[in-house]
Parts: sequence; C-alpha cells; structure tokens
Amino acid sequence: MKFFDCNCYFGHVGLPAFRYASNSDELVNELDFCGTDKALVYHSSMRFDSPIVGNKVILEEVKNKPNLIPTWAVLPFQTNELARTGDEFLEEMKRNNIKALRAFPDEHRYFLNELTFGELFELMEDKSIPLLIRSNWEAASNLLKSFKKLIIVVTSHGPHPQDRYFRPLLEKYENLYIDTSSYLLDRGIESLVEIFGYKRILFGSGYPENYIGSSLLRVAQAEIDEDAKKAIAYDNLDSLIRGVKL
Amino acid sequence: MNNPSILAKEFMNNGFSLNCPIIDVHGHLGPYVGIYMPSSNINLMIRTLKRCNVRCIICVPHATIIDPQGGNELMQKTIDKYKGMFLGYWMINPNRRDLIEKDLQNFEKTRGFVGFKFLADYHTYPITGKNYIPALEYANEKKLMILIHTWGGSQFDSPKMLGSIAEKYTNINFVMGHSGFGDWETSVKLAKELPNVYLELTAVWASHDFSMQVKGSGSPVPFLSFLHVNGIIEYIVERAGSKKILFGTDLPWYSPHYAAGAILFSHISDEERHDIFHRNAERLLSKFL
Repeated sequence: MKFFDCNCYFGHVGLPAFRYASNSDELVNELDFCGTDKALVYHSSMRFDSPIVGNKVILEEVKNKPNLIPTWAVLPFQTNELARTGDEFLEEMKRNNIKALRAFPDEHRYFLNELTFGELFELMEDKSIPLLIRSNWEAASNLLKSFKKLIIVVTSHGPHPQDRYFRPLLEKYENLYIDTSSYLLDRGIESLVEIFGYKRILFGSGYPENYIGSSLLRVAQAEIDEDAKKAIAYDNLDSLIRGVKL
Repeated sequence: MNNPSILAKEFMNNGFSLNCPIIDVHGHLGPYVGIYMPSSNINLMIRTLKRCNVRCIICVPHATIIDPQGGNELMQKTIDKYKGMFLGYWMINPNRRDLIEKDLQNFEKTRGFVGFKFLADYHTYPITGKNYIPALEYANEKKLMILIHTWGGSQFDSPKMLGSIAEKYTNINFVMGHSGFGDWETSVKLAKELPNVYLELTAVWASHDFSMQVKGSGSPVPFLSFLHVNGIIEYIVERAGSKKILFGTDLPWYSPHYAAGAILFSHISDEERHDIFHRNAERLLSKFL
C-alpha cells in the first residue's frame, strides 16, 4: 500500500523531539524506514520561527527530493510580511510550485477568520487550494461557517478524541477534511467511514510530534474496504493536490 | 520500508504477530463522560482485541471513577464472563473511606483482580495521602500490583510522589500509568533504580497539546502538555531498559494498532519489542495467565 503523509515537518525546534529530522535528507531516511512514499511537508521555521524565514527555507530543502511536496504558511496581508495582496501571494505560489497552505493561528497570533483572510481564502476557494490548519475546533467551526468551498484540512486534532466537536461539522460542511495523525480513537476511522464515507480522511503522521508508525499501522489495519483504505492512505490527498488550479 | 523488524512487517501485513501476543495492562470498560468511544460496546472492544492478538487486557471500568462499588461489580462480571481475556484492577476511591475497609476485607473473595487502581488526578487526592495507606499496606502484604495514573507536574500523582511510596512499599509492583507523562527523566530514573517500578506506555506515544482542545484536558485538574514524543520509546528503553516497560492503551480510548505502531517503528530491537508487548507482563502476571 502507498502512503502520502499530509502532516509532517523537519528542522530544529526549541524543545525538540527525542528523535527528529533536522533536515530533508534525514526526513527522507525516516520516511523510507517507515515505508511512506510521499509527504506534504513544512519546515519547523515556518511554524516556530517565522513564515518569512521558513517559506524560503523549505524551497531550498526540498530541491531534488521529488517525494517531498512543499507547503507555505500564511500570515495576514495587513502586516505586509509575505505579500500585499492575495493575487501577489498566489503568483509567488505558482512560481514556486506551492500547492497547499498551512495556518498556525496560535503560534503566529492571528484570528483565522474572514476579516483577516477573506481575500486570500476566496481566491483559494476559486483555485481549489487546500488549507491545512492546526487549531482547535472552535476556530475551525468559525472558518467553515464563512467559507463553504474552501478545502479545510484540520490536522493534529488530538490527543483526546473530539468527535463530539467535529462530527457535526463533518455532517454539515462537505469541505471539511481531517487527518489521522492524532486520531487515536479505537474504531474511530471505521466509524467515520461508515457514517461520512472515506473521501475526507487523510493519512497524516504528525511527525515528529508523533511516531510515523502509529498512524501508518492504524490506517493499514483499519477494518474498512481496501479501496477506502488506499484512498485514506494516499489517493485522497493526491486528488486534492492534483485538483489545484494554479 | 527499510525497517528491518520482522514484527513490524507481520503487523503491517496481518495486523498482529502470532509469535508476539500483546498483553495490555491498562484498559477500561464502558462509556466515558468526555469522549465518544465506539469500543465502549464490549463486543466491538473484543473484536479489536482479537484483531491485534491481544491475549489479555487488565481493565478498570470508567464507572468506578464516580461509583467504585458498581464499577468494580461490573468488572467482576466481565472477568467471569470472558474468562482469560479480561483481568481487573479494583478501583480505590480515596474519597470513599467508607468503602475502602469493606473492599479490603472482601478482596480475597474476588476473582481475576491483579490488584488496585489509583486514579488520583481524577479523585483529586494525593497518592501520598493517608486515605490510600490501608490499600497500600494491604497490597504490600499480599504482594499485589497497583496501576497508578501518573502525570508530570501533578500535585496528586507526580513521578516523584510515586517514588516516595514505591520506596516504602517494596512488595508492591507499581505500574506507572502513562509513565509520568512529561516528566520522563524522573520516571525512567525510578524504573531503573527501583525494582518494583514499571513504566506503562498508554498515551506516551502521542503528542499532548491540550491548548488545541476546547476547554483543555477536560480532567478535574489541567494536565501538562508535551508536544514532541517521537523517540520517547527509544529514550525509555535506553535508560530504564526494556524489561521495565509494559504495553497499555486505555482501550476503549485508543487503538492498539496506533500504540503498537509507535513501538514497531521505533529504533529498538524485536527482542525489546517482545519484552514490552508481552514478556514483562507474562512474568508479572504468571499466576493469572
């Protein structure tokens, strides 16, 4: 089975994991160790330093590594740190072959809402660019209310299972996706697939916050149809990336 | 996949290894106040156990947190109904001193209970407090096992507090639930230095960032977060030794495959994995298995 990881990063952090990939070579080695075929990655500096730094570092790091697909982090245009307008930002994305964006509203201290990101998110809706967010369900819920077509992937929503928060959102908003990195719940994937189908679940490891092997074995041994399993492991994310119209 | 582990290949291909059964020393039963759990249905829980070749799980029902009497009775019925698959911990609620004396008088009449469970963070009573002493003295006399929920920085069950009672009650095998999550240094030191202290892995293999969760940990006292756990298995094995580590999942909370995946894809040997998955528990629980 092939695996495409939507949620992993490399690079140094202040309080690092006991083991982690400090650069893209080490990440490729760890992916090979686990049998992950491809990963949608970010660099630690995009999250823990600044996207001003990290969005450049990631491009250098993934050169000549075709199985590492880079992403960028967003900041409000009003501070003029990354770009002045959405069009300008998307032009830069196109030039650098960036197919997905990430938001870290807690680390970067902004409101993840229409007021702050209306212009960009409307353009992303139009171009089918996925937004991967790392935030709690309250913020995700507010965003979903405003943007009905924006592809929103909520990652690292754990560790305690939070189905009572997010299942109503999955029911109401077809543009909501979740990753498996922190979905530890026993029989959770099986139950989600039965009720909501398999198309909005993406394999994510959360590495190096979590072990790649945890989510990997969980998905590989989920008690669901083989087609559903393959889709979660690889095809769902692959389709999202292929569907970007930049 | 470059991982040379035979066990990892078997689990990836089949979901289990016939040569490496699992003994889960940290389980629960039934639904829970703050979390939806499909496997609170015991038939689904048993299905999970079989899919992962879990030979036996030692549980304490969630119901015991508020009603130790009713919950412990449920555990007894489950042990009796599913002989061999379920063993139990008898929950001690330090806030119900009226029950503890009776519990201890009747403990020998129970079947399949390996010892006690202390859930001090949830009962907001310190494991070093006087209300726990009768149970500790009894367990020490009878050489029982006690599973204690331990969490770094807790005022009720920190690793340091566990150390102080483990040094005193040397006949008890103390299982440090969650390995004192976050205070890894103290926990591995205790497990290395004290022969009666074991590290239990439930949730250890998962990043905990409670700031991501609406209303935090949802427990009576806020739990310490710890963001990056990749490599924790290697850290514990290297410092405490694989013979002092036990496998656990909190099932029906967490998937045994998710938990096992961390161990199977950590950079340790298959021999060390055998110790963690079943050998250490087989040694400690020989009279029950």
